[in-house]
Amino acid sequence: MPKHIVRLITLLVTLLAVAAIAKPFLTVDSFYRFGHYRADSVTEIADKELVYQTPRYCHGCHTERRAQWSAGSHKTVICEVCHGPAQGHPQNGKLAIPTDTVKLCTLCHEAMPGRPATQPQIQVAQHSGGQQCNVCHNPHSPKISTAAAKVTGNAAAGKDSAAACSGCHGADGNSPNDTWPNLAGQNAAYLARILAAYKSGDQNDAAMTPLAQALSDTEIQNLAAYYAGLNCKASTGGKPVGDAAAGEALAANCVACHGPAGRGSNPAWPKLAAQKPGYLVNVLKAFKAGLRKDPMMAGAAKSLSDTDIANLAAYYAAQSCQSTK
Amino acid sequence: MKKEDSAPTLAARRAFLAKLGGAATCAGAALGAATLGVVPRAAAKPEVTPDAASFPTKDYDWTKHQWGFGVDATKCIGCLRCVEACKRENDVPANAHQFRTWVERYVHVEGDAQVHIDSQQDPVNIEASGSEKTFRFANRYKDAKVDKAFFVPKLCNHCTHPACVQVCPTGATYRTKDGVVLIDETYCIGCRYCVQACPYGARYFNEEKGVADKCTWCYHRITKGLQPACVEVCPVGARMFGDQNDKQSRISLFIRNSRVQVLRPESGNAPNVFYVGIDKEVN
Repeated sequence: MPKHIVRLITLLVTLLAVAAIAKPFLTVDSFYRFGHYRADSVTEIADKELVYQTPRYCHGCHTERRAQWSAGSHKTVICEVCHGPAQGHPQNGKLAIPTDTVKLCTLCHEAMPGRPATQPQIQVAQHSGGQQCNVCHNPHSPKISTAAAKVTGNAAAGKDSAAACSGCHGADGNSPNDTWPNLAGQNAAYLARILAAYKSGDQNDAAMTPLAQALSDTEIQNLAAYYAGLNCKASTGGKPVGDAAAGEALAANCVACHGPAGRGSNPAWPKLAAQKPGYLVNVLKAFKAGLRKDPMMAGAAKSLSDTDIANLAAYYAAQSCQSTK
Repeated sequence: MKKEDSAPTLAARRAFLAKLGGAATCAGAALGAATLGVVPRAAAKPEVTPDAASFPTKDYDWTKHQWGFGVDATKCIGCLRCVEACKRENDVPANAHQFRTWVERYVHVEGDAQVHIDSQQDPVNIEASGSEKTFRFANRYKDAKVDKAFFVPKLCNHCTHPACVQVCPTGATYRTKDGVVLIDETYCIGCRYCVQACPYGARYFNEEKGVADKCTWCYHRITKGLQPACVEVCPVGARMFGDQNDKQSRISLFIRNSRVQVLRPESGNAPNVFYVGIDKEVN
């Protein structure tokens, strides 16, 4: 073999040997441990810290919210979807409480082609008159139970039981007194629900509780049917202290449930038109103070000042309870 | 004169090569000798593996799992909470064009043979969200006569035969034993071959870090016994994740009991994200 070829081969072999010997020194230890990659990088990636902490983390402290949330229809939406990731909370401060709930809620609930029919969806423009979602809906348990129980009472039988009520609520269901509510023409399902609540103790009133406890379920049904069938009259109480015009602006927030001018057609909720202003003021204050318990009304009354309450009462008292149609 | 100066004589050249050869041989011998002490260490590498019983972390053994992902497009409402959660969980750049996961909307409008496809990075949707950092689908088809519409969440398919791993020149991307395709950021040289190779467009180039990036199925979460962030936040259960080794896991039941399909099966990558409720336009 020619000399120069031998030398070239020697040189090549030497270089290859150098490369082969140098490789282990230049290759990170964990490379090739499982394959053509650095095994340590798997551990590094696995050791990254969590940003989203899962509901279990939140529930360690927020037990009250948890109870509400886990019983409601939003139980599949974890805390961090709306409040943001909990990494660093509470050490680094509070998590955001969303302020623009319309923007937030419509991410999922705006009616849109492509959303499955099982998803509750709303036409944003027609749903709330621009008010925030959390005025009526509790974001942690948003479903409003609108299923009003059907009232099957006998109005004629109810009339006999109603004798005991007429002292306060008037012989024709129109209260002579500013602090007691008119019952005539009220929604039957609402009347039955409230009477049952007094009976069960869910709602308390010095006068009403013992009276309701004396009633049977049938009597409650009969009474509800009787009063719902009576004709309401325009409020005749003293001049309300509030400003009805200012109340009308506030009442825009109530329309969704109580209907235009308080003549709501949903039997689950009370009509407010021509109701006694003193009664309305008392009830709203009771909701605000938590004496009367209703998640929706608590939210709605929370932000009302005493003046707002007086104005709302004045507005509703001035409305006609007869449909204008 | 000049010529004689610059042209080395034959003898000089030979002498030089001889010296070079000698030097190389000496260096080789020296290195070889030096290595002798170290070679056992290199040979012992596999013996370090006994603690592989709990690799990659002490509480998690990757040989015991084979992860899989399911998407039920019939449930997806297009709220994009998954996209937002993924961005925050994985430190994905806060803009409307780089994603580890995304959601596409397919709309068949009456009298229009062309299917309308958009995702959160469509300018109309960016405008509806009001910022590049938040995401929302604009209600752009509300007045159209829509024959059919649906949303499809997409992400890395964590293929059994990943094209991206095959093309990586540095071993910076690989498939783990539990079936997750990962990227080693310290070994990635930013050549973007993998971005090109992926048939699903699942990878993007992260300019901030100078490396390719993609979904890891939140490897840092699943190795701690949690769900990936997108699955965790999905309010309707359109995304599901689990262990294909566990025959009673949600993902195993999903694959077994539904008529699932994968995207671009013809590509031969053998994806591990299984879909229900998508039509032929989706790929």
